[in-house]
Amino acid sequence: MTSTACFIIVSRNDIPIYEAEREDAAQLHQFILHAALDIVQDLAWTTSAMFLKAIDKFNDLMVSVYVTAGHTRFMLLHDSRNEDGIKSFFQEVHELYIKILLNPLYLPGSRITSSHFDTKVRALARKCL
Amino acid sequence: MANYLAQFQTIKSTCGHLVIAVEDVSDLWPTIKNSFEERLPFKRASLNNKTRNAVFVENLQAEFILTTDARLRSRFPQEQYLFWFREPYATLVLVTCEDLDEYKTILKPRLKLIVQNDEREWFIVFVSRAHPSNDQASKLAKKVYAKLEVEFSSKKRERCCKFDVHGPEANFWEDLEARIMECVRNTLDTREQFYEDEIRKLSEQRFNPIWNFCNFFIFEGLESLAFMFEMAHLHEDALREYDELELCYLETVNIGGKRREFGGLDPGDDQAALLIPGNKPLTQIVQDDSFREFEFRQYLFACQSKLLFKLNRPFEVSSRGYSFIISFSKALGLHESILPFCMREVWVITACLAVVNATNSQYSEGNAAPEIERQFYRLQGDLYSLCRVKFLRLVYLIGYGTEIERSPVNSALLSMLPWPKPAVWPLVPDGAASEVLQKEKIIMQENPRVKPFGIERKPLPLEPTALVREANRRRASLSAGSPSEMFDSKQGFADGSATDVSSKTSPSSKALANSMSRTYSSAGSFEGSVDRPMKLAEIFVASEHVLMQTISNPDLQKTLSSIQEIEQKYMDLTKGAADNYHRSWWKRHGVVLDGEIAAVCFKRGNFDLAAKSYEKVCALYAGEGWQDLLAEVLPNLAECQRILNDQAGYLSSCVRLLSLDKGLFSTKERQAFQSEVVSLAHSEMKNPVPLDVSSLITFSGNPGLPLELCDGDPGTLSVTVWSGFPDDITLDSLSLTLMATFNADEGGKLRSSSATILKPGRNTITFPLPPQKPGSYVLGVLTGHIGHLTFRSHSFSKAGPADSDDFMSYEKTTRPILKVSKPRPLVDLSVAISSALLINEAQWIGIIAQPIDYSLKGAVMHIDTGPGLKIEEPHSIEMGTYGSAAQNSADTSNSGDTGKDGNKDFEQLSLLDGKIEFPDWACDVTSILWIPIRAIDDKLARGSSSGPPQKQSIVDGMRTIALKLEFGISNNQIYDKTIALHFTNPFHASTRVAYQCSDGTLLLQVILHSQVKATLTVKDAWLDLQDGFVHAGQGDGRPVSAFFPLVISPNSRSGLLFRVCLGKGIAEDENKLQPESILNIRYGIAGDRTIGAHPPAAAKSNKTEGASQELIFRSAIILQRPVLDPCLAVGFLPLPSDGLRVGKLVTLKWRVERLKDIEESNVPQNNDEVLYEVNANPDNWMIAGRKRGHVSLSPKQGSRIFISILCMPLNAGYVHPPHLGLPDIDEANINCSPAGPHLVCILPPDLSSSFCVPA
Repeated sequence: MTSTACFIIVSRNDIPIYEAEREDAAQLHQFILHAALDIVQDLAWTTSAMFLKAIDKFNDLMVSVYVTAGHTRFMLLHDSRNEDGIKSFFQEVHELYIKILLNPLYLPGSRITSSHFDTKVRALARKCL
Repeated sequence: MANYLAQFQTIKSTCGHLVIAVEDVSDLWPTIKNSFEERLPFKRASLNNKTRNAVFVENLQAEFILTTDARLRSRFPQEQYLFWFREPYATLVLVTCEDLDEYKTILKPRLKLIVQNDEREWFIVFVSRAHPSNDQASKLAKKVYAKLEVEFSSKKRERCCKFDVHGPEANFWEDLEARIMECVRNTLDTREQFYEDEIRKLSEQRFNPIWNFCNFFIFEGLESLAFMFEMAHLHEDALREYDELELCYLETVNIGGKRREFGGLDPGDDQAALLIPGNKPLTQIVQDDSFREFEFRQYLFACQSKLLFKLNRPFEVSSRGYSFIISFSKALGLHESILPFCMREVWVITACLAVVNATNSQYSEGNAAPEIERQFYRLQGDLYSLCRVKFLRLVYLIGYGTEIERSPVNSALLSMLPWPKPAVWPLVPDGAASEVLQKEKIIMQENPRVKPFGIERKPLPLEPTALVREANRRRASLSAGSPSEMFDSKQGFADGSATDVSSKTSPSSKALANSMSRTYSSAGSFEGSVDRPMKLAEIFVASEHVLMQTISNPDLQKTLSSIQEIEQKYMDLTKGAADNYHRSWWKRHGVVLDGEIAAVCFKRGNFDLAAKSYEKVCALYAGEGWQDLLAEVLPNLAECQRILNDQAGYLSSCVRLLSLDKGLFSTKERQAFQSEVVSLAHSEMKNPVPLDVSSLITFSGNPGLPLELCDGDPGTLSVTVWSGFPDDITLDSLSLTLMATFNADEGGKLRSSSATILKPGRNTITFPLPPQKPGSYVLGVLTGHIGHLTFRSHSFSKAGPADSDDFMSYEKTTRPILKVSKPRPLVDLSVAISSALLINEAQWIGIIAQPIDYSLKGAVMHIDTGPGLKIEEPHSIEMGTYGSAAQNSADTSNSGDTGKDGNKDFEQLSLLDGKIEFPDWACDVTSILWIPIRAIDDKLARGSSSGPPQKQSIVDGMRTIALKLEFGISNNQIYDKTIALHFTNPFHASTRVAYQCSDGTLLLQVILHSQVKATLTVKDAWLDLQDGFVHAGQGDGRPVSAFFPLVISPNSRSGLLFRVCLGKGIAEDENKLQPESILNIRYGIAGDRTIGAHPPAAAKSNKTEGASQELIFRSAIILQRPVLDPCLAVGFLPLPSDGLRVGKLVTLKWRVERLKDIEESNVPQNNDEVLYEVNANPDNWMIAGRKRGHVSLSPKQGSRIFISILCMPLNAGYVHPPHLGLPDIDEANINCSPAGPHLVCILPPDLSSSFCVPA
């Protein structure tokens, strides 16, 4: 079991559309993830893989990023090196996210408010991370 | 070994170039030295690199040294072997000779001696001193040179060249350089080979315990090799060697089980020397068989960076530098306990600055690829920001922590960065009591910075753990006490940590901490007892003292000495980082640091700059929708704007604050924002600016179908407005634009008349809607006033990316809110009856008012009757629903209708000023209005004589009634209609004389044509005869009364017979003579008003039960006296029954009868004789007998004779029979029977039997 600090989905307009926090140092985590967007922006186009692995390190915390084809970014702030778990977590969240996108009432780029999604993501986090 | 090292060092520092030895055989060097040395450095050289690939080197430095020079001579063989790289790379043998014999005997053996046995690379320069004009000499020289070439050059390799002192040949220098290069190349290759072999040998022994890194380093020459490459300008190869060297070194460091000295304890070591290769002589850093890590790694990096700079790759210096600093910092961390206090931080600061400065000075913009350039700036930014963090840590340690902005960036950087871990935390030096007191005072005085708007936030931590605890824990002598003892009195200072801890401790222990702190804060207790935990102020003072000892750089010392200096440095570092991040397009990093700059500007009172920087930060966070971060910065921006009196900016910041997620601020804070807005709005504003509140006040039409209005109708539009204000807010006015979808320019503006109070959340606001043009409309912009403040909102209710600042990105809903339909008939008025009504009688006309999907509520009908028509005033107007109208009217006529008033769909209305108001129940049903009217016609009806009745001209009975219906919500809709009504008399009378009796009585038949669709009952009829006619008999001119009542069905006819005779009436007065007869008919009518003519609407009082009213119809009839009176009648007697046949004789007979006494008529004189004449068509008839003659006829009335004549028809068919005429008598006096010409049938003749003989 790793300790995951924060998981954020950032839309392709750089707007956070989903946040799942574990602790309440929200600003810090948000700050770190926001700054990491700078790195994602550089790295995303250098690889064809969606999973960018740990792209940034902040003392003990690492930022792992997964970029979907639509340039939505899943950003995970964590402190473990369980790369496989993170990868499968991202992939499963991606599936969930696609399901959200398929919802005709969901406007792409808007905030994800589905509680179902939230529950599933948290369950996935428990399972994979 | 140290000797060698020192020697190596000196060699390295003295000789940085290749050496070319000059063997001056014939003492020529001094004369040609200058011209040779002018050629240096070699412009272009081709050398082989380590992989034996040709590399072009430019500006290769070299030096010509005579072999007799002390530098070359005084070397021991071992030394030569050790420092082979400094040995000559080529040997140039200078010879001259003017004589062949001399060459053979002296020079050649000598040269052979020089050349043989030597591994040196050599070549011969033959110097010809012969003057070109001296043919003899030059010829000789040529000869000697030829000999020389034969002797020493081979096919493979040219080893000779000839130099003319008096003007060398054009290609001499090229030749010379080529020779030299060839030698250098070969030498390099052999030496490389040698070093590589050595290295391989040594590397294999690396794990041997006696293996010695220094040997490896120097003797076996990794470094030597690298240096050799460097000398040969083969920097790439040199760099590669250094890289390898570093790898090897790190390997030895890491595997060595034995503890080696790390180094870094010398004074000045705190200053990074990672770019200064010669910082310390290698001899100083040698330890046992290797080097001290601290110095040697820096040395290696310095060598590498030197090469990189030579290669003009400052980018690589910074990228390698950054990772070097990181890894080296880690290494420092491992040895932190033996290093001076905060050595690691200080070293990193100096290292970062050194790398940044060096690379910046070497870097010229625009040389590198854009990608590289970005990377470079990013690295610079990283270096600056790394430096900044360490600097902040030091600042905190010496007690200026309160000056550090507790922003997310600082908190993120510092709160996860561990404290320095010295073996023992420094103690307060003796005699520093006053400083401690001073610090304590500062701490006490320090007020936690108040956030604008009274925002209460848990301050972000700047420390990984409470410094007090950390410091005390690291004091060797302190036995661990209870955690609460650790805390200093001033909890408020170390806010982040303190609250952090206090939140974890139970309330009781917190109370304990407070009570304890009180005792500690008493000043007298400061004695430095060993067991007493240090207080924060003491920690600061101690840290400062030790830190100042650690830092050797006076600049850095100075920087940390005062708060102003610290601030300046902090600003420089932050700016440097921000600028570089911006250049590298890492805008987020850059902008965040801009925020830090802003914080400093703010503190310095430079609000203008601060506002600008804060705006940048806010724009970034808002643009990307990171609200948590925005909530951190936006209050600061607002505060700046407030201080700068930038009302517009301040208001918009307040609005933005309010429109952030509700969870980010407490209700109290949000109320504070609102009250700011409201109070500012109601104050005097210099430049009222419209405020965009799109994010705060949103609106949308009500869900469901749009409001549909008919053209020209006003309405009310209700709009849902969401207010993001935490409290009710009073809007002094509110208006909303409507945009037509058909044309962007069209549209209306709706105004809410009175002040509106918006509750937080959803509000429904109703706007009166003036009539709009037809089309559909969407909501446009909501504007309004709060006090003097105008605001506008463009945004619809949150649907899209609601947090985006850019309202243009909203998906504007195109759902129409209002549809105004095109003009269409809304109501229809029509007449309920199709047939004619009775003229001159009170009649009901029914008008059907049919609403077409439109309410007629409050409708008013104006009735305007045309000429010849008037409304029967005493009657009230009846109104009923159309379907039941007929029945109702029947009911009404039967029973007293007052009871019907309660009925919803029947009502009696009264006419006021020609207007009728519609009752409410009639608003959406088709209703019928019964209006009593009377058409007035003064003319008397005219009968016609005999024949079918002529059609009466319709125009005569036509009347019009103009109706105007005003209806709609505010009676704005008008419907006009003029209705034509047809009135007629009940009857049309036509007359004929049915029979003229012989006694002169005329039977006058009056035919009554019913003109109406109602059953008429004739009750009585009489004729007022005109002059000259009198009623026959004793009757009063009426038909037999038993025939009455005579019922005439609609549109049918019936007749009346009157016996009249000619005669003088008893006309007493000549004047009263009637010119025409009047037919008077008393009749009743039973009709339905829904169909047509009906009994007149009578005043209710006059009505009698069951008895229908009796009406009089008068019609003028003109009678004419009969003017003819025949005296003779001629009758054609019937023909024989067997018919007429061609060729068959037939007797035609006429009877002539005297109708009158002859005396009364003006007949010819011979009274008893009548002249007759038979006329016949001779083609058809053959007449036998007299055609003309007289017959006697008695003059008495009734006498008769028969005239017969024999004739034969000639043709078959219908022919006119012969005609008997009485030529003497006027035709008018003859009554013929049959009256006109007639035809008879003539059969064809019988078949002649003679032709048809039976067989």
